[in-house]
Amino acid sequence: MPQRLRGLVLAAGLLLPPPGLAVEKVKLGFVNSMTGPEAPIGENLTHGADLAVEDLRREGIEVELSRQDDGGKQQNAMSAVEELATGEGVAAIVGPYTSASANAVVSLAQQYQVPLLIPAAAKEELTRPGKPYVFRLNAPAHVYAEALLDAVLAVGKPRTIAFIYESTDFGTSVSAAGKELAARRGLRVVADEAYQQGAPDYRSTLTRIKALRPDLVFMVSYVADAILLMRQSRELRLEPQAFLGGGAGFDTAQFQGEHDISELVFSVTQWTPDTGWPGAAEFAARYAARFGKKPTYHAACAYEAVRIAAQAAARVGGDPRKTRDALAAGSFSGVLGAVRFESFDGFMNQNRHAMPVIQYQDGRAQTVSPPEFARRKPVYPFPGWK
Amino acid sequence: MILFLQSLLSGVLMGGVYALVGIGLTLVFGVMRIVNFAHGELVMLGMYLAWFLFTRLGWDPYLSLVVVAPALFLWGALLQAAVVGRALHALPENQMLLTIGLGLAMSNAAMLAFTADYRILTTSYSSSGLQVLGLSVSEPMLAAFLVAVGVTAGLYLFLLRTDTGRAIRATAQDREAAQLMGIDVRRMSLVAFGLGAALAGTAGALVSPTYYIYPQVGGAFTLKAFVIVVLGGMGSVVGATLGGLLVGVTESLAAVYVASDLKELVVYSLFLLVLVARPSGLLGKARA
Repeated sequence: MPQRLRGLVLAAGLLLPPPGLAVEKVKLGFVNSMTGPEAPIGENLTHGADLAVEDLRREGIEVELSRQDDGGKQQNAMSAVEELATGEGVAAIVGPYTSASANAVVSLAQQYQVPLLIPAAAKEELTRPGKPYVFRLNAPAHVYAEALLDAVLAVGKPRTIAFIYESTDFGTSVSAAGKELAARRGLRVVADEAYQQGAPDYRSTLTRIKALRPDLVFMVSYVADAILLMRQSRELRLEPQAFLGGGAGFDTAQFQGEHDISELVFSVTQWTPDTGWPGAAEFAARYAARFGKKPTYHAACAYEAVRIAAQAAARVGGDPRKTRDALAAGSFSGVLGAVRFESFDGFMNQNRHAMPVIQYQDGRAQTVSPPEFARRKPVYPFPGWK
Repeated sequence: MILFLQSLLSGVLMGGVYALVGIGLTLVFGVMRIVNFAHGELVMLGMYLAWFLFTRLGWDPYLSLVVVAPALFLWGALLQAAVVGRALHALPENQMLLTIGLGLAMSNAAMLAFTADYRILTTSYSSSGLQVLGLSVSEPMLAAFLVAVGVTAGLYLFLLRTDTGRAIRATAQDREAAQLMGIDVRRMSLVAFGLGAALAGTAGALVSPTYYIYPQVGGAFTLKAFVIVVLGGMGSVVGATLGGLLVGVTESLAAVYVASDLKELVVYSLFLLVLVARPSGLLGKARA
């Protein structure tokens, strides 16, 4: 063989993967709120996805993750999904983060026939029957309410409850589920206050709630409002038997860091490191070591969603329709426990996910419910502001 | 009764800050007859400056006023000299477009510089409330109110007692007559715009411990400032003060006695009612 040709053949041989490790290439889309009001939470999703891509590479799956930012706005989420589905030819899309954005894109994913795997959005309607291309990893809104109320009903006998929530898809969905469940559990709903995002003076609303003396105050907000609501509750000396935070803003490092106001607040969450799910504790340690702060459940959800989508896509060679089938039929396991997308109770392609409840004790989030995950006992009732 | 008093109190405290924003806008209109649609963005700049000084240098937001107010004054004067002043004789519609454009430029510049993330200041008194006679008085809001009262009083004295203040009032009353009297109206415009900006920035710094800060926060303030200014009578400083307090109290009482998510609706309905009954505003002079 001529010299040059021999050289070429040798070089071509080096480019082949080493025998025994076949590398699957998979292209996924990732829609997230990297900027905007939900950016502090979006950051967790980004980091979770990054860690997933690294781990998948080690397992022989090379993921090309096309990231799109929706800035917390529905129109941007819609154009992002259109771009990913049509222009970039992805096997599946993970995201978006917020319920509002997810709600805007589910019909698009269905229309373009690209599977959408929702990692952390709560709105109930997202996985109703009729959209076989839409999957959800996290538990929906009614589970938020169930987990929170059951946690306090196990340690106390509250009789009245007040709801304060933002008037977005997320806030309305979780509080609606909460109100319905409260009635069924024999609690009287004494206040139902929706507020507009971006108008952060809640003093009058909280004053009104304080006058009604509720035993429980159930709040549903993103980060900024969660902090301001609790600050103003402290100013006004609103002292129910417990503050119940519906996830999102109430389960972040930033909220935990506000020691004056986060102490003894409950929050429902999709994940904590001490649930005993495979790899959960290691994931938290690795995230904290790499990024300098503890991960929220959003990080674990994004991590697991990217892993599941990649694994499903790799199994079938990256075709969106076959990926959808792989997701629907598959069984997965990871830091969120066992995952199967099933149809039940008016949901389709929904994972049956149990939600732990945390309480901030001495400045740290402790898992207090349900009993199979709990590390500490809940402190109830709230002893009052110092 | 306690509920009423508590929400009245919250409304008055917030109203003091709103009044400051309104006074700034009314001053600009009074002297230059220009409707400044970028006023809310000046508040936003004040907030960001206070936040920046707090996070980088550890300055308390109330103390940082000594930097925020003069900085915004200079910025306002610069905007007037370089941009707004050139449109004094343009069509009102063009002046409006100009200030809207300025507002957009400022909020987008802030977005580039700081990203759209919400910023929150955490001071030691951010969630403290004094308990007085069964009512909770928010410490940060009380401090903001007291400073606002002080600044307003200072402004009144300035306008009533100093030569420059009197010159500004003269320019506001009748620009040509003032010019004939030897007042440098161009300089008065500079001072007025600078003062308006300084007041807006001060209001921003005052609420920064209790609000969240993001580039588009100015929009809501511009809208409120307009309601206040028109309610109180355009060009009337006393009117703007009253208007601010009225808007603050209405908002607060509406949230308690009507519904939280309809409080803005009540404020704007009140605004429409006043306009229908008294088009020149509560203390404005009926003018052609």
